[in-house]
Amino acid sequence: MSTSTYKKQDAYASSGNLPDKMAIFQECLQQFNASPVNAKKCRQLLAKLLRLIYHGEQFPSQESTTLFFSISKLFQHKDSSLRQLVYLTIKELSSTSDDILMVTSSIMRDIQGGDIIYKPNAIRTLSKVLDSTTVNAAERLFKNAIVDKNPVISSAALISSYNLLPNSKEVVKRFTNETLESIQSHKVFPSNQFQLHEFYGNSTSKLPTTSYMYQYHALGLLYHLRNHDKMALMKLITSLSEGSALKNSLSIIQLIKYIHKILIEDEALIGHLYPILAAFLKHKSDMVELEACKTLVSLQHLIKDDQFMAIINTLQKLLGVPRTATRFAAIRLINKISVKHPEKILVVNSELEGLINDENRSISTLAITTLLKTMGAGTIDTGSVGGESVDRLISKMTSLMGEITEDFKIVIIEAIENLALKFPAKHKKLVSFLTDLLRDDGTLPLKTSIVNALFDLIKFLPDAGAKQLILMNLCEFIEDCEFAELSVRILHLLGDEGPHTTNPSYYIRHIYNRLVLENSIVRSSAIIALAKFAAVCGGHVSKNIQILLSRCLNDADDEVRDRAALSLKFIKANHKNFVVSDSKYDLASLESKLTHYLNDESNFDTKFDISEVPLLTSEELKSIEYNRKINKLDSGVTESSDAVGNEDRGKESGDKLSAGDSLSNDLLKQQEYSQELSAIPEFADYGTLSKSTITPVYLTERENEFVVTVIKHFFIDSQKLVLQYNITNTLPRSVLQDISVIAQPDNELYEEDFIIPISELKPDQSGDVYVSFSTPSITDGDILVAFGNTVAYTNKDVIDEEGNVDQRDDGWSDEYQIDDLEVSAGDFETPLYNSNFTAVYDQLDNTDSSVVTISGVDTLDNAITRLKTSLNLMPLDGSDFVPSDATSHVLKLLGKDVWGGKVAVMARLALTGGKVVAKIEAKSETETFSSIITSGAY
Amino acid sequence: MGQAFSFAGIFSKLWGVQKEIRILILGLDGAGKTTVLYRLQLGEVVTTKPTIGFNVETLKYKNLTLNIWDLGGQTSIRPYWRCYYSNTAAIIFVVDSTDKDRIDIACKELHTMLKEEELQDSALLVFANKQDQAGAMTAAEVSQALNLTDLKDRSWSIVASSAIKGEGLTEGLDWLMDVIKDEQL
Repeated sequence: MSTSTYKKQDAYASSGNLPDKMAIFQECLQQFNASPVNAKKCRQLLAKLLRLIYHGEQFPSQESTTLFFSISKLFQHKDSSLRQLVYLTIKELSSTSDDILMVTSSIMRDIQGGDIIYKPNAIRTLSKVLDSTTVNAAERLFKNAIVDKNPVISSAALISSYNLLPNSKEVVKRFTNETLESIQSHKVFPSNQFQLHEFYGNSTSKLPTTSYMYQYHALGLLYHLRNHDKMALMKLITSLSEGSALKNSLSIIQLIKYIHKILIEDEALIGHLYPILAAFLKHKSDMVELEACKTLVSLQHLIKDDQFMAIINTLQKLLGVPRTATRFAAIRLINKISVKHPEKILVVNSELEGLINDENRSISTLAITTLLKTMGAGTIDTGSVGGESVDRLISKMTSLMGEITEDFKIVIIEAIENLALKFPAKHKKLVSFLTDLLRDDGTLPLKTSIVNALFDLIKFLPDAGAKQLILMNLCEFIEDCEFAELSVRILHLLGDEGPHTTNPSYYIRHIYNRLVLENSIVRSSAIIALAKFAAVCGGHVSKNIQILLSRCLNDADDEVRDRAALSLKFIKANHKNFVVSDSKYDLASLESKLTHYLNDESNFDTKFDISEVPLLTSEELKSIEYNRKINKLDSGVTESSDAVGNEDRGKESGDKLSAGDSLSNDLLKQQEYSQELSAIPEFADYGTLSKSTITPVYLTERENEFVVTVIKHFFIDSQKLVLQYNITNTLPRSVLQDISVIAQPDNELYEEDFIIPISELKPDQSGDVYVSFSTPSITDGDILVAFGNTVAYTNKDVIDEEGNVDQRDDGWSDEYQIDDLEVSAGDFETPLYNSNFTAVYDQLDNTDSSVVTISGVDTLDNAITRLKTSLNLMPLDGSDFVPSDATSHVLKLLGKDVWGGKVAVMARLALTGGKVVAKIEAKSETETFSSIITSGAY
Repeated sequence: MGQAFSFAGIFSKLWGVQKEIRILILGLDGAGKTTVLYRLQLGEVVTTKPTIGFNVETLKYKNLTLNIWDLGGQTSIRPYWRCYYSNTAAIIFVVDSTDKDRIDIACKELHTMLKEEELQDSALLVFANKQDQAGAMTAAEVSQALNLTDLKDRSWSIVASSAIKGEGLTEGLDWLMDVIKDEQL
């Protein structure tokens, strides 16, 4: 009884079985062709038919056509509800039936003189029926409908015009004036609109008189008609943002999105557009406020501090609203700000603390992670006060940890790890928080995330004490660890790090316990860990370990015995490098080399040459990982801020991401270049490629008749520089021939060897011109140079559709000057990570220093970005973060030069009178290179 | 129930009220079909555009309900005429009497159409339209050009008309109603 009644009451039960397709089809033919037409029956049939179609059922094209013609016969009946359904059905059939144009005249008649009930439906259906040959006939109709006083009709016409854009843009363009008129007009629903339905009959007074939705639709259409004309777009934005021209909040949001798009393309317009955006920060719709905040936050580098406060104030207000979605959106934006400028949101800390207990999990998670970041900023700014707040937060979280689920804990763990990485001084508290958590019960994913966090901290915390503290905690953990995979990872780490600590014997004891107590998998990794201690520490440690290992030769498990035997053999023979190695192959390039090797069987005659794969020292490996870590933090922000202008900017932001992604990608790219170059016989005896610039530099505007980018390839051993100019012909009607680039160095020590020109570029083709130079060596001192570039070519017109040129046409020769290219100190460097900058800096000799004004920037933040990218070095000790109110800052940069020596730069920056002045102190292992760094222009 | 239904049927046949009569207006493009339709329905001249598809109007005429379909005459639309042939009581074929060049095409289209099985029982009324214009062929000339005399087993008639002036239309329609009443009752 109970189940059957439930079934009957289930809202979906009635829609359970679809009617039979063919039965409906037959009935339709019968009813629609009847004379006279029974309107009620036909309406019900059409409804059934629509239900089938909406369910994804499709009729074969012949049936579809028959159906369409029988439906077209219903036009003889005047019943307006029937007509409405007829339009809905024809709209759906329009994609499958070819003969749809037969209803064109009837629809147009309805739009001209028909009932208001089905007029909007008719307009929408018309846009599906029209093709490029019939659209002109409907132009007048659409214009009239767009300016119609009834907002429903106007909206239908606007949306339909929008849908017509792909096929008949030229016609729709002529609707611009009507659309503009419509967006500024005030249209109200006809007063009897709702009375037509008994449901609304008595309550018309409570219904809104207008929704202004047509403004949203009109704005969307206008944008698509104008988005290639920036001036027109700016005019539109200015006129619509004045007063309260736009009343519909969706249309305002859309307007803000368009402003965002414009700003992304041209940041200089912020001066004009900021006041408009700022005005939207106070609006009666929270969605509008949020959208304004979101846009401003994603452009925060363009915004002044006092302007920023307005955003924060709005967000602060939004944090307190009852609507969950709004609170979430607000806190998400605050979280985004906290990544770059935690100090700016200190003011909302008390609201954030309140939100920790929010019933919505996502909100409370964001509240905590945001607080963790602001606390960090607080510590740096205000010393002990901030320190206290970190304590407070941690104690708050400790109490909270018991109540929350594991996914949530994992988020918090990641946040704490990031905090510890950015603010190493606070590590003690944070590490103890993590290790406490490690001791509690938990599943594998939770423990893994804690262990991952601790591993990262060991790698990147500069303080040796911190390292020791974590290692000891990990030792304690494996004493009672139920997860073999974690034990194995920890043992591996102990083997790597333990021997370099002050008391290796402490770890040996713990590792040996594993040998006695654990399963074979853990035992075998314990063997390898012990072997590392023996190999590194040597002396009596080695002897003792050999005794321990020889006991394992009787182990029950094969793998353990094998590893023990092998390790003993290596230790006795003193093959230290077999046990521990400082370097690793770059896995990404190894993989690509191997695939390359396997793809061609002719390669199998020779042995795979592993020496071609770049070998990374542990230091370089750490640089890669550190970069990845930091970028992961920032990339979340970049991605979401890109969401708006994605289709236009997809490529650019892709470039940006990959540039920042990691060093290992750069290595791959470099390998590709080296393969490309080695395929060119002229460069065969140049030896190995030392370094290439990764991102191509544009030497022309991207919209030019031809676009030129350049990549610099350095062959340090053979003292050669190869400039690879990539030229794209964007002229649709011209073929370029004999293209070469004349590069004029301003440094006499550079001598041109030869040019490899491009013989021909058809429209939209691109090709490479190579120019080779002999370069001075580093001992000559003056290795910086700038090249003046001129492109020389012969231009011929395309004469036919295949893009051929007239053979008798000699064309005309032309020269075209493009931007200059500089070789700067950064081209000779790669970023390098080291957890202890000061130690490295103090070790290096060859000091040089200079004071420069950094041109074209007005904030410390921008100056740091400029230095970082132009010098191509890695910022260390979190020194690339500047509190926004600071007027001076010390930037620490580290890297490696192409000659293999380390380079360290200490830049003292000061902000005075809107200019950034820097005292740059450079130290390098390679003689004279430090002076090259300081002599560059920034 | 069944009895009541058949009673109604008989009455409707007797008085010719309930039954709708389907009439098609065909002809080449620009012959004046749409003008004829609205002259009949509204009694006035409307400005027309080339019909892409069809117009359909219902009108009462002498106690009969007429369902008149005006199908577009452009070459691209003519193939679709056949989709509307079934249950057609009568065809009104409109000819532009001034268009001597295309009268052969009109003739061909007319005879192809009349061969269709679905139209075997339909009556045919031809309007030799645009008589108001100079140089128009007379009804007799049009009849000859269209080979109307070749038609066997079909009630047909040709009427000289001017849709603009409203001449000839009622005469034609009166003839048509008489034929239909004879045939259907």
